[in-house]
Amino acid sequence: MTQLSKFSKHFANYTELRVQENQSMSITFLNGNLVGNEKKFTSGVSSRVFLNGSWGFASNPEMDDANIIDTIKLANENAEFLSGRQSKNKRIYEGAAFSVSHNFGTKKNRISQKELMDFVKEIDGYIVKKFADVTSRTVGLNFLSMEKTLLTSVGSNRYSLWPRTMIFVKLGVEENGDPINAYEVFGGRGHFEDLFTNPSDLFEDVDKLYEHLKNKSKGVYADAGEKEVILDADLAGILAHEAIGHTTEADIVLGGSIAADYVNKEVSSNLITLTDYAHSYNGNLCPIPIFVDDEGTKAEDVVIIKDGVLKEFMHNKETAAIFKTIAKGNARAYQYFDEPLVRMRNTAIEPGKSKLKDMIASIEDGYYFMKTGNGQADSTSEFMFAVTVGYEIKNGKLARGIRDTTIAGLAFDVLKSVTMVSDDMVWGSWGMCGKKQMIPVGMGGPAIKCRINVGGK
Amino acid sequence: MAKNKVVNKMMKLLSEENLEKYQVTLNSSKKTEMVVERGEISLLRTIADTNLRITAINKNKKASVNINRIDDSSLEEATKNILELLETSEIDEAYDISPFQESKQFEIGSKVPNKDDMYKLLIQFIEEVKLEYPKLNISESSLTFNFTEVNLVNSNGVDYLQTKGIYNFYVVFTAKDGENISSMNFASFSMNELDKNLLDTATVRSRIKENIEQIETKPITEKFVGDVLITPDYLADLIATFAAIGLSDGALIAGTSVLKDSIGKKIASEKLSICSNPRSKQICDGYSITSDGFEAKDIMIIEKGVLKSHLLGLYGAKKTAKKRAENSGSAYVVDSGEVSYEDMIKKVKKGILLSRFSGGNPSPSGDFSGIAKNSYYIEDGKVQYPISETMIAGNIYDMFNNIKEISKEQVNFGNSIMPWLLTTGVTISGK
Repeated sequence: MTQLSKFSKHFANYTELRVQENQSMSITFLNGNLVGNEKKFTSGVSSRVFLNGSWGFASNPEMDDANIIDTIKLANENAEFLSGRQSKNKRIYEGAAFSVSHNFGTKKNRISQKELMDFVKEIDGYIVKKFADVTSRTVGLNFLSMEKTLLTSVGSNRYSLWPRTMIFVKLGVEENGDPINAYEVFGGRGHFEDLFTNPSDLFEDVDKLYEHLKNKSKGVYADAGEKEVILDADLAGILAHEAIGHTTEADIVLGGSIAADYVNKEVSSNLITLTDYAHSYNGNLCPIPIFVDDEGTKAEDVVIIKDGVLKEFMHNKETAAIFKTIAKGNARAYQYFDEPLVRMRNTAIEPGKSKLKDMIASIEDGYYFMKTGNGQADSTSEFMFAVTVGYEIKNGKLARGIRDTTIAGLAFDVLKSVTMVSDDMVWGSWGMCGKKQMIPVGMGGPAIKCRINVGGK
Repeated sequence: MAKNKVVNKMMKLLSEENLEKYQVTLNSSKKTEMVVERGEISLLRTIADTNLRITAINKNKKASVNINRIDDSSLEEATKNILELLETSEIDEAYDISPFQESKQFEIGSKVPNKDDMYKLLIQFIEEVKLEYPKLNISESSLTFNFTEVNLVNSNGVDYLQTKGIYNFYVVFTAKDGENISSMNFASFSMNELDKNLLDTATVRSRIKENIEQIETKPITEKFVGDVLITPDYLADLIATFAAIGLSDGALIAGTSVLKDSIGKKIASEKLSICSNPRSKQICDGYSITSDGFEAKDIMIIEKGVLKSHLLGLYGAKKTAKKRAENSGSAYVVDSGEVSYEDMIKKVKKGILLSRFSGGNPSPSGDFSGIAKNSYYIEDGKVQYPISETMIAGNIYDMFNNIKEISKEQVNFGNSIMPWLLTTGVTISGK
């Protein structure tokens, strides 16, 4: 990637200069038809300038020296356009300078496009051969990488390459004429070569998916109303991210989030500690390891809830100055032409001490919700998540599968109802969060036992 | 045509590889965006971007590559990538590109933004909101001018050029009084010219006004099957969802659409007529060419309850042996009815006014469930109070069959035109 230090002489004000390339590749088979076979390369330069309380931003796909200099100049002009029309007495947290380089790409020899295609086809072929009653199937591979070089006027200098590879399988059957679907995603951070070896390694998981699908097709609709449930890691993770995490992003707090008044107050059961991890958990790298963010700030963990008490918000340089605190590396941008926003990185509830089997055994009449399809929440912490795989719990045992349903509630109220937290930690690496821009996120956690509002038919 | 030297160069490179069919689409865009955060214009952003999409078909195998660097070596690298993807692709006789059509140029909107007027309009909006709705918090808002130039050329001689310059406005807000806050809501619209007061266009003012009322809410305390009066904002979302599960390439190729054999059949109340009108003068944010290389035309999707068209592209049509739609969907217009919005409310015995819905993707059968957001309880013909923690569950196809009334008023969002729609048979359950 381009060496940026030679452009620092063009920094007239606080300035960020970023060169970035995103690569993506997708292969998609729908009922055996190749409906997606595509590569995408998006690269360019962007600059952001802060002047007298206003920001100017500019970007250009052409990255020769003249265009980079013009981009810095246009960002300055944009900041001047605004600062010339409005006077603000605002400053930003500048922090210290950091220089890091992290390459999470594979060191192995890259395999060919044909081998990738054959890998996906073999999984598709396995499904056709083994499951005669599957009426629709989608099998595919998605790859995304983000390669960024950043230089700031503060002196931070960062290079990072982050790849993610996922194989997805969606199966459908018909039950009395009703199409019923379920899906699973495999993979995570890394190139294909570091994650997958043989298609047959995934067959056992595909079998499990089929079993869940059959149970769902023969299953029942959940009863509507407030129920005692266990949210498995997938759902506990999206609860942590979507319903709590977003309400504690400082820009959302300033925009009117309910969490604004909650600092140092008890907001959940004391079994809950919820953290946005910068790069590592328990000495292992998280799905989205951020060491220095897109504003050049050193990344540290943000402990949002500690033993049930709300402790801190996530910041960029601007909100950190407003709150008179420090930024901890939450400013991230998706494409070269995007400005950094306050974003989560790896958000999860910390594991507790209970065993999942004991948690299930403790419920007389409730549900075990395992997989989610999508989720939304707003600044009141009211959330809605789709449940795509789940089971009834009757007398402490898993019973019939359930059809698609939704769960909803006020997240802080739900966390107050938590009575058990499992002792395991499962990360989901497939998350994409939408907040003006998309961004890859990690989320996960243990299973939690709580009370929640379930939507029936 | 194909005046663009990049497109010509790319076509030449593909021609030299003796490929049977290929299409090149160059999309050059420039976006000028003013962003409002915390009640102030905080950022001015100018983005230039380019996307060159190359699709090639050879021996019934297909591949696509997208790049945004368009120097000679990038074009050559893209050619290598296309050849590699083609080599490993699968044979499918349904792969194709559009046939020869006369070359045409299309122009929508203007070419350059007026930054001073953008600034003035946005400042006026911020000040009017502060003055008239002091409890409102603008979480985020932006006024953007998007200019795009699309040159689509294929080896059958298709050569289209579309330029489009449109202003888009959106605003996200909550309202706060003491410790009570409302649920987040948003409003948006598109326009050709900066000739509208932002607060008084589309549903911006009404949604902001309602958001203040929604600081104080209560859940419905029972479960019942009742009426749902759908606002124009949510109706636009609902129709997009209906199109995705019932009319799209994916749903029809997978065979999961329950409408797969319903062309010419009655699938909804005869009160319902839906068009997709990307070329209509009423739709400023439309389009003139489809991504698979056809000139877009306005089409009827549902006429008086009868399904007239799926939304199949060229590949989907060939794959399913059904008729290709003459556009790519969106730009939906729902015909108005004969009853006023006020009279529709009077007809509701027990139900809700549904302004926004937060829910999971509906199943292919149309079943859905989720939360009624920014909505109101209606009883005995009167709007009673704003609700929270209220879930609804139903079936999209049933909702379209159970339509009681459609309003005579419509809202033009620039990219769709929607009335209010009253339906019934939806399960509404409180806490």
